[in-house]
Amino acid sequence: MVSLHEPILILDKLSDNALMSSVRDGGLDRLGLLFERYKRPLYGFFYGMNRDQELSEDLVQNTFYRVIKYRHLFQARLPQDGSDGQREGEFKTWLFHIARNVRYDHFRKDKIKGKDPMENWEHKLGHSENKSEEMQHDEEHMMLNLAMDRLSPDKREVLLLSKYQEKKYKEIGEILGCTEGAVKVKVFRALQELKTVYEKLEKQM
Amino acid sequence: MEKKEVEALITKYNKGLTDPAETYELERLIEDGIVPLTALSNLSQLGDRIMVAPDAQPSMALDSRFYAMLKEEQRKASKSTFSFPWLQWNFLAPRLAFATVLLIAGFSSGYLWNRSQEEGDVTSLTKEVNDLKEMVMLSLLGKESATDRLKAVSLTSEMDKASNKVTDALIQTLNEDDNINVRLAALDALRPYTYESSVRESLIRSISNQSSPMVQVALAELMVEIQEKKSVKELRKLLEKEATPNDVKQRIEESIQVLI
Repeated sequence: MVSLHEPILILDKLSDNALMSSVRDGGLDRLGLLFERYKRPLYGFFYGMNRDQELSEDLVQNTFYRVIKYRHLFQARLPQDGSDGQREGEFKTWLFHIARNVRYDHFRKDKIKGKDPMENWEHKLGHSENKSEEMQHDEEHMMLNLAMDRLSPDKREVLLLSKYQEKKYKEIGEILGCTEGAVKVKVFRALQELKTVYEKLEKQM
Repeated sequence: MEKKEVEALITKYNKGLTDPAETYELERLIEDGIVPLTALSNLSQLGDRIMVAPDAQPSMALDSRFYAMLKEEQRKASKSTFSFPWLQWNFLAPRLAFATVLLIAGFSSGYLWNRSQEEGDVTSLTKEVNDLKEMVMLSLLGKESATDRLKAVSLTSEMDKASNKVTDALIQTLNEDDNINVRLAALDALRPYTYESSVRESLIRSISNQSSPMVQVALAELMVEIQEKKSVKELRKLLEKEATPNDVKQRIEESIQVLI
């Protein structure tokens, strides 16, 4: 499996953690590099959850706003990590942890406003088809996306996290606040349901 | 569970033949890390398809919004960096308080130190001057000229506090000086020291020694002034003396009446 960001990571000698540490210590301009690295995975995560381009962009913006706001809280090594060596991807874990909170806060606000998320989703799907054309060209991917959209938000979230965290279940556990084993079971159940939904859709086609 | 059994379960699952109990069993094995998700070929294929599915692309608006925000935050951050930390009250207050306390302590200790030194200087200087005056006075009293002796007596009024030596010299002058004016001046000079019992006693003894009526009257008046009852006996002696003029006797009589 080739990571989507590997070429960038190889080109950049500075690791995410080093960049974020320098952002924390006053080098705010370095955040631009981190933004370039993570705007797409973050957007993909949000878009996968809500199928709303504008909202997803808002949420990406909010996530980076929180990164700036709470940059002093960033630690190169997470406290729950018992290993001595520094692991790559800790910034990513931290970033997705923030992203998840941003999405949760937005969802909660929506709930207070009394919006029906499903209604919102169906409405947005109509016009987002034009905007993310390359996705819709591939029928198979469309089917997969449709199947993903029919999963419960929890299941969709764990699958999207496993995509953007590159199947690092321990990190996903840190984001979701559960054990590595529990994440694996969640992924297993989500994939199982996805498979069922996907097969149903195939029959309908 | 044996390795063989696990493999059999995985095969069964991949064929879609497991029942709910077996699926639950599989979940436990996955949770414990015995069965990796990649072993479940059907599912992991689906998972891989999610992994390689192209990402939705954000619009350019996201970039411009992000960089505008970053610029704004950088501006804010540089603003706070350029503000001098020593101008902030939290930073300044304890230092200012410490400096003030130090300043006050310095001033007051300096003032006290200086004052005590000054006081010491002045005291020693005053003592020296007094000693000098005393010396001058004693030497002047020995002079032939009555004017000099008068000067000597008047010098004592300039002294803050005359020593026993001075009062003794004044009493001696009062008793023995030839000049009446000098004796009167000595009596006047002794007036501030009448609170001393030795001076009072000497004055009382001096009454009967005096031949001059003026000095006698002055002494009698002083005795009334200081309410010295012990002097009555000496004053009576003057009354009994033939030489005492009648006017003086009358004045003394009055004084005795007041004292009794």
